[in-house]
Amino acid sequence: MKKITFVALLLISLNAIGQSKYLTKTGSLDFEASVPSFEEVAAKNSSVTAIINTDNGEFAALALVKAFRFKNALMEEHFNENYVESDTYPKAIFKGKVGNFSFDSLSEKDSYSHIDGSLTFHGVTKDLKGIPLTVKMLDDKIILSGNFKVMVSDFEIEIPKIVANKLSDEVSVDFNFELVKK
Amino acid sequence: MLKKIIIFGVIIILVIVGYNYVYQDHRNIENEKAEFSLKSSEIATKFLENSTEAEKLFLNKTIEISGTISEINSNDLTIDDKVFCQFLNDMKETIEVNSKVKVKGRVIGYDDLLEQVKLDQCAIIK
Repeated sequence: MKKITFVALLLISLNAIGQSKYLTKTGSLDFEASVPSFEEVAAKNSSVTAIINTDNGEFAALALVKAFRFKNALMEEHFNENYVESDTYPKAIFKGKVGNFSFDSLSEKDSYSHIDGSLTFHGVTKDLKGIPLTVKMLDDKIILSGNFKVMVSDFEIEIPKIVANKLSDEVSVDFNFELVKK
Repeated sequence: MLKKIIIFGVIIILVIVGYNYVYQDHRNIENEKAEFSLKSSEIATKFLENSTEAEKLFLNKTIEISGTISEINSNDLTIDDKVFCQFLNDMKETIEVNSKVKVKGRVIGYDDLLEQVKLDQCAIIK
């Protein structure tokens, strides 16, 4: 019995040494789908969980859809109930890998890379390739930031005709993650 | 003349009602009554066992969670490594890791990556 416990502990500790993870629970994700001269359609989520494995650059992020906050409370309600159906699909998940990630070469200066992966949202999974990424290391934090665009129609989100001209089909998404070692 | 005044009055009321509907305030979680009051381990178990059922029950609801603080940052804290609570603004209260706490907040969902329940718009009750 003791032996088994010892082996189990050894395996756990080896596993812990082999993987170094940096993570955040308060990453930010902003999106905007505004059309000029109409009311701003934008929201911010500042409780996104993001994790990177610094050995191989594997990255995962999870945003809870209900946490997107709009300026306009009614817009937030419509977004949740009619568009993204956050009761049925409460999560947006991105899984991917940072290209040529090297932990040792990170510095205070911005370095540029890209990330390939897939985004699952509203029950639809879509591959996203070559998202440009800015990476730097500041005060022992890995800071990842960037911007990408997705189409509302790619995620099978139906926009009623009456608001279709007030809402852009192309959504611009900004992200910023400050990951600390865990 | 009286008719005109009445019509004018009705229009004004409609405009005010309409404006208040379109530009209504956000929910104020701090002033809402909690629908559930649980220990951090109880809600974590519910989500771990069946996250779909737990989502149906708790999503978007105002709840109270009690437990021991395992991590503190400027505007969030984690209870027993199981429930993450985010505050709208930086916390004013002076609280410490390992102290007991009771927090009210809105359930936004379950974080599979860290296996934690997430709450936002939190307030410390005691």
